[in-house]
Amino acid sequence: MKELKRYGRLYKVFVAQFFKYLVQSRVDFLIGLMGFFLTQAAGIAFLYLVFEQIPTLADWTLPQLIFIYGFAQIPRGLDHLFTDNIWMVSWWYVVNGQFDRYMLRPMNLFFQVICEKLQPDALGELMVGILLLAMSLSNGVVAISGTKIILFIISMIAGAVIYTSIKLLFASFAFWMKVSGPVLYTAYQLADFAKYPTEIYAKGIRFIITWIIPFGFVAYLPASYFLKPGVSPWSTIGLECMLAVVFFAISYGVFHFGTKAYESAGN
Amino acid sequence: MIIEVNNVSKEFVSPKKYPGLKGAIKGLFSNEKVRKMAVEDISFSIEEGEIVGYIGSNGAGKSTTIKMMTGILTPTSGQCLIRGIDPSKERKKNAQNIGVVFGQRTQLWWDLPLSESFSILKEIYNVSDEDYESQMKFLNEVLELEEFWTRPVRNLSLGQRMRADLGAALLHNPKVLYLDEPTIGLDLVVKDNIRKAIREINEKYKTTVILTTHDIEDIEELCNRIIIIDDGKKIYDGSLENLKEKYGVTRKVTMEVKNLKEARQVDLSSALHVSKEAYEVTTDKATNSVEVAFDKHCLSISDVIAQYMKHTEVKDIQIQETELSEIVKEIYRHGMEQETKQNEEGMVS
Amino acid sequence: MKKGRWRIYVPFTLNEIKSNLAYKGSFYLFVLCSCFGAFISYYLWMAIYGSSTSGVLGGLTRNEMILYVFMTYVTSNIVNVGVVGYIENDVRDGAVVMNLIKPIDYRLSLVSRALGVVVYRFLAPSVFVWIGLEIYKVAVLGMNVVSIKNILLYLLSAFFSVLIYQLFDFCFGLMAFVTTYMFGLKMAKNALVSFLTGQLIPISFFPEVFQRVFDFLPFSSMIYTPVMVYLGKYSGEELAAVLLRQVFWIVLLYGLGTILWRKITKRLIVLGG
Repeated sequence: MKELKRYGRLYKVFVAQFFKYLVQSRVDFLIGLMGFFLTQAAGIAFLYLVFEQIPTLADWTLPQLIFIYGFAQIPRGLDHLFTDNIWMVSWWYVVNGQFDRYMLRPMNLFFQVICEKLQPDALGELMVGILLLAMSLSNGVVAISGTKIILFIISMIAGAVIYTSIKLLFASFAFWMKVSGPVLYTAYQLADFAKYPTEIYAKGIRFIITWIIPFGFVAYLPASYFLKPGVSPWSTIGLECMLAVVFFAISYGVFHFGTKAYESAGN
Repeated sequence: MIIEVNNVSKEFVSPKKYPGLKGAIKGLFSNEKVRKMAVEDISFSIEEGEIVGYIGSNGAGKSTTIKMMTGILTPTSGQCLIRGIDPSKERKKNAQNIGVVFGQRTQLWWDLPLSESFSILKEIYNVSDEDYESQMKFLNEVLELEEFWTRPVRNLSLGQRMRADLGAALLHNPKVLYLDEPTIGLDLVVKDNIRKAIREINEKYKTTVILTTHDIEDIEELCNRIIIIDDGKKIYDGSLENLKEKYGVTRKVTMEVKNLKEARQVDLSSALHVSKEAYEVTTDKATNSVEVAFDKHCLSISDVIAQYMKHTEVKDIQIQETELSEIVKEIYRHGMEQETKQNEEGMVS
Repeated sequence: MKKGRWRIYVPFTLNEIKSNLAYKGSFYLFVLCSCFGAFISYYLWMAIYGSSTSGVLGGLTRNEMILYVFMTYVTSNIVNVGVVGYIENDVRDGAVVMNLIKPIDYRLSLVSRALGVVVYRFLAPSVFVWIGLEIYKVAVLGMNVVSIKNILLYLLSAFFSVLIYQLFDFCFGLMAFVTTYMFGLKMAKNALVSFLTGQLIPISFFPEVFQRVFDFLPFSSMIYTPVMVYLGKYSGEELAAVLLRQVFWIVLLYGLGTILWRKITKRLIVLGG
C-alpha cells in the first residue's frame, strides 16, 4: 500500500508537468489535433464514399459502422494518452542505451516507461471518438441503459489494455532486435483495419486479428454487443476482458524477459 | 566487503556483418553470429569507503563491468554482489543502494527544470522530507546547484549538468557511487570542483566510489586503488604508487636547440656512466629539437639537461612525466607478455 | 551539371541501401506485415463488391479492383519514401548549417538518400509482390499478363511519382525550420496523401466536382496515375496528358522547392542558424 502511494505521488508530478506543457505549447497541441482530425476525417469520408455505391456492408449500415469507428477510437486514445512512451523504447531507448536510466532506479520498469509522458495528441482521438459516438447515438443506433453504460466503460478500459499489450509486446522485441519500431508500427497499423467488421475477412486473417494481434476485440466485437439485439455481454465484453488480462500477462512477461536480455549501448 | 565481483563474464552475440553492399546482401541471408567476450572472468572485491579507479582503453570492458554491477546488464556467468545483493536478481533493491553518473549522458529529464527533476527523484528513491532537506543543503554546499536550480536541464552547460547529475545520483545518499567518465569534456576549474565534491562526499558518508576515467588527474587526486582491465581481463589491481613505481619509470625531456649537429655529439652513456638501454634519444630536424626518454631511476633531469647545455645553446625545455595512458600501455604489453609466457609454459608442460 | 558531379551523390544512395539491409530482422517482418495490410484492404473491397448489386464500382470491375489494391501497395511502397525525416534530423542536430558549407546540393543529397530506400523497397518486396500478382492474375483471375508496353509505361510513371513525392516532401519538410513539432504535421500530411493519392480509395469514387479539383493538385499524380497506367485505363492522348501532368508537377515542385530553400538559407545565414 505504501508502495502504491509512492507510485501515485510520482505519477502526480508527471501529470502536473503534462498540464503545464499543455498550457505552454498550445500551438503544437492544435497542430497535432488538426493532424488527427484529418486522419479520422479521411477514414469517415472513405466510408461515405463507399456507401454511395452500396446500401449496407456485410449487413452493417453506415451509422452502425460509424459507431464502431468511433467506438474504436476511445480505447486507442486512452492507450495513446497514457502509454505513448513505449514507442520510444522500440525506436530509441534500447538502441542508444537510454533505457539504462530506468534500470538504475528502484521502481517498476514498465511504470517508469509509461509515467514519463502523457501524449496530448491522444485528446484528439478521444474527442473524435466521442463525437462520432454522439453522432451515431443521435441517429438512434443504440438504446442507452444503465448496464450498457457500465459495460461500455469496462469495454473501453479492456480495449485500452489490449492496445497497450500489443504495443508493449512489439516494443519489447527491441531488446533483442535493438530497433523494433518498424515492426511495432506495422502491427499498430493493423488496428485501422480492425475498425471494420471482422467477418469480411478470410478465416486465417480473422484468426490473426482476433488471437495473434487481437485488435478485433477492441472495436468490432464489443461494439456488436451494443449494436445487435440478443448478443450476450459475456461472449463479447466478457471475452474482451479475459483477453485483455491474458495478453497483458504475455506482453508483460516478454517485456520482463527482454529487460534481462537488454544489452545497453556501446558494444 | 561492500562489493564482491566473482568470476564475472559477459558475452555479446551479434549477427555477423560483411563489408560492402554485396556483404550487406549476403548478411540478409546468412545466420552467422559473432561472439564477443566483453568481460572475461573478472573478480575483485572492494571495501567500504574506498575510491577505486577502474581503467582501461576504449572497448576494454570497463563500462560493461560497471553496467553489470549496477544491474543494467545481466552477466553471462559469475555474480556481482553489492552489499550482498545480486543486482541482476534484485534490481530494485540494489538500485536503492547505488548512485550512478554517466558522463556522456544525463539521467535527468531533459525538458524539466532541475528542481522538478529533483522532486521526481525524491519520490523515486522514497526520500523523506527531512532527509531531502538535509541532503539538499549538503549538496548545495558542495555542488552549488542553486545557481541553475530553476533552469531546464537542456539549457545547462556541460559542467553544470555534471554537477546536477552528480547531485541527482547522491540525493538518496547511496552507499556506492559509480562514476563513468565524470570529468569528460569539462574545463580545469570544473574538473577540480567535481573532484573536490567527490572527495567530500566520500569523507562525509564513507561512500564507496568506483570511477572509470581516461584522466590521470582524476586517478591521482581521488583514487587510492586502481584496477586495470584490458581486452576484458583484469591485468592490474593495486595502489597507484605501486603502479607508478613499477611501470612509470620513463620520463621525457624535449629540448629545442640552436644547433642540432652539436646536440648530436652528446653521449649520455659515457658522460654519466649509464648503460645505453637506460635512455633513448630522438632528434627532429623540422623543429630543431632533441627528445630524450629515460629511466628516472638511472638518470636525473638536471644531469641530462646539463649535458646538452654543455654542447649547445638550449632555447626551450619541456619535461613530461609518463602519462597514465603510457603506463597503461606499458601494462597492457606486460600483461600480454605474461599471457604468452603462460601459454608457452602451458605448452611445455 | 557536369556528368562527373552526379557521382558524389551515389554514396548517399548506396549507404542508405546498406543501412536498410542491416536491419535484417525488421526487414522480414516489415515485408510480412505490410503485405498483410494490403490483404485486409483487399478483403474489405471484396465485401464491398459482394454487397453491391452492380459489378462495376467507380469504373473498376471486381478483378480490376484486386489489381488496383495490390498495385497501389506495390507503388505506394516505393513512392511513399520521404525526405522529411532526414531534414528533421539535420535541423535538430544542426547538420543543415554544415551542409551549407559543403559543395553539395542539399536537396539532391536528400533525394539520393531517399532513392536508396526506393531501390531497396523496389527489390524487396515490391517486385516480388508484383510478380506474385501477375501469376495470380493469370492462374486465378484468368486474365492476360500485363504487356511489356504497360510495364515500361508503369515504371516510367512510377519513377515520376517517386520524384513528385520526394520533391513535395522536401517542400513540406522545410516546415521543420518553422516548427519543432513535426509529428502533428506529418500525421496531417499522411492523411491527405493516403486519401488524395488514391491509396485509400480510387479517385474515381469521388464525386465529379472533387475529381476536377484533384486535377489541380499533385497528389493523384503520385499513386493513382501509375496504377491506372498499369491497368491500361489510359490510352493515346489521355495517356500522354497524365504523363505530361506528372512532368509538370516535377518541374513545378522543383521550382517551388528551390525558391523556398533559397528563402530559408537566407534566413539561416542572417540568423546564424
